[in-house]
Amino acid sequence: MKLAAEQSTTADAAPQTRQPVLLFEQVSKWYGSVIGVNQVTLELRGGITGLVGANGAGKSTLLRLATGHLRPDVGRVSVCGREAWNWRARRLVGYCPDVDVFFEEMSGFQFVEAMARLCGFSRRDARLRSEAVIEQVGMSGRCDRCIRGYSKGMRQRIKLAQALLHDPALLVLDEPLSGIDPIGRQDFLELFLALAEQGKCLLVSSHELEELEKLTDHVAIMSRGRIAVVGTLRQIRDLLDHHPMSIRIDALQPRIVASRLLEMNDVVGLDLGNSPSNTLDVGTIVIRARNPRSFFRDFGRLVIEEGIEVRRLEMLDASAQKILGYLLGGNR
Amino acid sequence: MSITPGMHSDVSILRAWLELLWLSIRRQARMRQMVWIALGLLFLAVLAVGLVTLFGSWTLADRRVRMPPGRTQPATQGASSVATTAKKSTEAPPKQSNPSPSASPIPLRPRRLTYQETIDVSQVLMLLGDRGGPVQAAVSGSLRVALVKSSFLIFSRWIVFAIFQSFLLPLLTLSFATDALGAERENRTLTWLFTRPLPKPAIYFAKYLAALPWCLSLNLFGFVAICLAGGEPGVLALRLFWPAVACGTLAYAALFHLIAALFRRPAVVGLVYSFFFEMLVGDLPGDLKRMSLSYYIRSLMFDATASMGLSSDQLTVYNPVDGWMALAVLAGAVATFTFIGMIVFSRTEYREDV
Repeated sequence: MKLAAEQSTTADAAPQTRQPVLLFEQVSKWYGSVIGVNQVTLELRGGITGLVGANGAGKSTLLRLATGHLRPDVGRVSVCGREAWNWRARRLVGYCPDVDVFFEEMSGFQFVEAMARLCGFSRRDARLRSEAVIEQVGMSGRCDRCIRGYSKGMRQRIKLAQALLHDPALLVLDEPLSGIDPIGRQDFLELFLALAEQGKCLLVSSHELEELEKLTDHVAIMSRGRIAVVGTLRQIRDLLDHHPMSIRIDALQPRIVASRLLEMNDVVGLDLGNSPSNTLDVGTIVIRARNPRSFFRDFGRLVIEEGIEVRRLEMLDASAQKILGYLLGGNR
Repeated sequence: MSITPGMHSDVSILRAWLELLWLSIRRQARMRQMVWIALGLLFLAVLAVGLVTLFGSWTLADRRVRMPPGRTQPATQGASSVATTAKKSTEAPPKQSNPSPSASPIPLRPRRLTYQETIDVSQVLMLLGDRGGPVQAAVSGSLRVALVKSSFLIFSRWIVFAIFQSFLLPLLTLSFATDALGAERENRTLTWLFTRPLPKPAIYFAKYLAALPWCLSLNLFGFVAICLAGGEPGVLALRLFWPAVACGTLAYAALFHLIAALFRRPAVVGLVYSFFFEMLVGDLPGDLKRMSLSYYIRSLMFDATASMGLSSDQLTVYNPVDGWMALAVLAGAVATFTFIGMIVFSRTEYREDV
């Protein structure tokens, strides 16, 4: 299977701007003899992009290159045309790292205010901005205690708050939903969507693919340091046409239906569940079809011609999780 | 208030840098393990100096005179008994455990006199009409002056040079100086500074400046404590040497700050450097010592004692450089280490959390 590794696709809902907000141009990064990211080309112009991949796939390295924490060995990373390694680019980037450390002796508000002051805002402006972002992340009235006493979810909120302080064009969020309770997750997802509507570009790394699917269908999938594919989940699915897809079919007379299915060109495998003794009972067939589009077209014709009574038809691996499984060669 | 896209604010890099400086000074206030270790050693040193001051003496008065092999002490030639008499006249009678050589059938090796006894004997001999009186008087007088100054020399040599300047000064400095960046690296909080729109060299320089008030306070406090515990010679040493201690602190702080930017375990590297380079190489004859900061700090101290008419061998500084030269080298070291550190820091990727 050949995937369009360097294909860059912009999210459908993302507003178009003249220059990309985040641009990776043939970027490679080594840690000694180990390669972190390998010839990555990626262009983001707005909206929310999910970054998924197995552990060690290079997600964190990619995010740190985007935030200017790391410098590429080969290629160029730029934010709104400015080199990401340059300190001036940090005015355009809000970063929510996955490391769970703070200036623990401070309260949540003091920390956020200190971060605002380090952006160069005046005392009054820093206070106003801190109050605003703390309210945005739902920490109002709860951030006067020392950070070391915070729950994981509260710490995540403070991390997000400091990233929003300077109204950045690009928000890089490394596992922002980690440790957040379900209600908090919903709040975060709504906040991310609101920020995207304001024209911000969000790059969100997450293992929670189900949550990420609620947020965006535009994902970049990393594997072994490369961007294996980037695009919407549907586009990715289309790229995987040659990869067998599992489909569940519940129908009457499953043995007869199975024999008809095996005659189809696109069906490469078939599992017949417990076959009912009574022919009026429904049985389950799970098939693996190579080319979903032509399969469904032929299957529809077969159903009409043979009068097959189908009670249920379900694609078992259309989710991002399954797609990721395919792309990562079963690592997940 | 809500933050809206495109909202413009008055943003100042200088203000951000000053805030970083102030934040770093406040965060340096946390007493870490190395600071407690350094303070513990300082306390022990002050205690030891205080006990010596209380029960002993810093002067040479009670030390025995060294003579070249084959020669006897001039004052002891037939005058040991006189010395004993002289001592008796000024002090409480000592326990006469050994009989005098003349009274003993077995010839005993004559006891070496102390410097004070030598002066006393000379005076007694002068009173007895010894020939060569003016020469004896001159020797006795200069010896008396030397004895007065000897307390300062001994205190400087053993306490200021051997203990404070060689050992405590680097240790106290590195306890704070390596922490400025080292603690941020160790705790992985450096990430927060890198997310702010501040040039990396400015972060490095702010961290260095933030460490200085703590390094200077700790070192000068330590030096004051140890000198005051030393009594009169200590007060004199404090008056003469505190500028050298301050200059040395600035130089060591710049060096250890650079080490913190270069190494993941800066305290260990700093300790190894202090013990194996500054303590050993800085005290060696030859030109290698010019590579150590301690040599220039000692030269500054030596220069400060010039007004007392002391020669170099008395302060165990081998071929010291001129005071201004030492000051210039230390200032150059501060500037060079800081400049190198800023470049290194701005080019280095800190991957502690990668």
